[in-house]
Amino acid sequence: MSLLELKDVNVQYILKDKKIMACQHIDLEIEERDSIGIVGESGSGKSTLANAILRLLPKRITAVDGEILFEGKDLLKITPEELNALRWKEISVVFQKSMNALSPVHKVGKQMEDVYRIHEPKANRDEIRKRVYELFKIVNLSDRVYELYPHELSGGMMQRVSIALSLLHNPKLLVLDEATTALDVVTQSQILQEIMKLEENMNLTRIMITHDVSVVASTCKKIAVMYAGCLMETGTVQDVLVNPKHPYTQGLLKSFPSFKGAKNDLRGIPGSLPDLSQEIQGCVFADRCPYADDRCRQEKPVLRVVNGCWKVACHKAGGE
Amino acid sequence: MKRYIGKRALSGILVVILSVCFNFTLIRLAPGDPVRIIAGLDNPNEQQIQVLREKYGLDKSIPEQFVMFLKQVSQGDLGYSYVSDRPVVDMIVEKVGPTLTLTLTAVLLSVTLGTLIGIYAARKNGSWFDKLVCNLSYFFDATPGFWLGLMMIIVFASYLKLLPTSGMVSLKNNYTGLKYIQDVARHLVLPISTMVLTQTPYYFRIARSSVLQAMSEDYIITFRATGMKESRIFNKYVLRNAILPTVTVLGMSLGFLLSGSVLIETVFAWPGMGRMMFTAIGKRDYPLLTGIYLVTSVMICIAMILVDILYGLIDPRIRYD
Repeated sequence: MSLLELKDVNVQYILKDKKIMACQHIDLEIEERDSIGIVGESGSGKSTLANAILRLLPKRITAVDGEILFEGKDLLKITPEELNALRWKEISVVFQKSMNALSPVHKVGKQMEDVYRIHEPKANRDEIRKRVYELFKIVNLSDRVYELYPHELSGGMMQRVSIALSLLHNPKLLVLDEATTALDVVTQSQILQEIMKLEENMNLTRIMITHDVSVVASTCKKIAVMYAGCLMETGTVQDVLVNPKHPYTQGLLKSFPSFKGAKNDLRGIPGSLPDLSQEIQGCVFADRCPYADDRCRQEKPVLRVVNGCWKVACHKAGGE
Repeated sequence: MKRYIGKRALSGILVVILSVCFNFTLIRLAPGDPVRIIAGLDNPNEQQIQVLREKYGLDKSIPEQFVMFLKQVSQGDLGYSYVSDRPVVDMIVEKVGPTLTLTLTAVLLSVTLGTLIGIYAARKNGSWFDKLVCNLSYFFDATPGFWLGLMMIIVFASYLKLLPTSGMVSLKNNYTGLKYIQDVARHLVLPISTMVLTQTPYYFRIARSSVLQAMSEDYIITFRATGMKESRIFNKYVLRNAILPTVTVLGMSLGFLLSGSVLIETVFAWPGMGRMMFTAIGKRDYPLLTGIYLVTSVMICIAMILVDILYGLIDPRIRYD
């Protein structure tokens, strides 16, 4: 059984006069001890998907359907109490805007203490302090951060506090939503190395949401490429990044510079995201795709298996 | 911290001197002549007026008068009222009690009521209760206090005859002890209700909007994601963050406690500072007015400094060194 399995997950933002299809028909399986990077340009629905997994989207304006199975339990159907028991203990998140990730008028340590006590109500202060210091060490923060307020820390330090906070209860699944994007490259790789070490020692499974393909290439086993709320291609990093099948993945990779190999010109993908409040008949990428034909504009491609876990949603890719 | 308080106190003194200087000058530049008012309306003779003018030092230029006034104040003397000939200090001290009874009760009630309703409405954001109190708050915020006061008198005093129309005590009966307190309380009901109705919306809206603001902050999502109970998120993190603006406006309004409310005190014939000031303006009672202005500006400055210090204590982002 997979650790996390998404089955036909749809997320809609419901506004007064329109509905925006932020995620459509997402099917994704994440095995235990996997590390998967979800990549895509801004607005492709990566963060929405991450928030949907923990049911963190504002209820009033969103509709989530489908199945999100975590160890066989459907996260969309369990009661709020069951969900709260699972949150942070099993699945934790490092959020995008970590500068505001903690209350500005409470000390960092006090807030971490509070979060620790949610799942360990009887824990005493010294025990918690020890645990937090341990985590601070992993993310390379000094102990005195415990006694500081969020505004006294730099953006990078707050980012590391958020990562330490997410590891507080040794979760099984860690979702990093652009968590290292704001850090300098040295700290970024240092922290990612530490997290990868934790993965081996603590059975951690990681979902990494980013638009930095190079981070995924160097730290993840698998990759999922999203565009306009749809999964375009998933598979192992070796398969997808070396030999992308989907025209969008190909375009995405061409717009990143590479250190090794030939110095090619960077090429962006012309055009921009389609209007997600309109129902799109065919492939969401058809308008920007150099290979699109009539079928692409009329019939929505579904994920087809290329090889093992390598799947692609394109009429043009694969055997035909 | 000590240095900060010292600095603020110094600038506070400067502000007081400046504002008293402005008030001192403005009231003297305004049309109307106190000497003619004191001397009576029926063609007083010029000689008499000249004598009075010299007596009060009004024959001198305004800067000279101001210097004289400052000398007087430095000796703790605010002079004598032109109209009643009594020491201004005594007259002000006399009004402190009645005014504070009215304003302090009204402020405390409005803050408590407004903040509590605001918090509850924010928590039930979008519910019928929220919509109802929001609309009520616009209504009472737009209602002039004196009009509401008059309506209260018409309904509860004249028509239903439940409560006294005006004043602080019943003059007919010379109550003492507990009876006296009861009597004052009965007289307080209408003016305080009027003030509470017009002031509550202000505190309500500040509490409601700051709670809503705090509820939409990113850290609330963080805590939600950790599985923290909604009640704990609200009671510990939302309220603590949302209380800051309320403290500011409460502090500011404490500065105006002593000056009282001119309109409410006038409508209800309440023997307080506001009404005394109103009468003093009409009679061009310069010493009394300057005295009231001085006390008011000192109070406001003290309140501002206290708010700043308090703010430093409750908001760690503010530092005074």
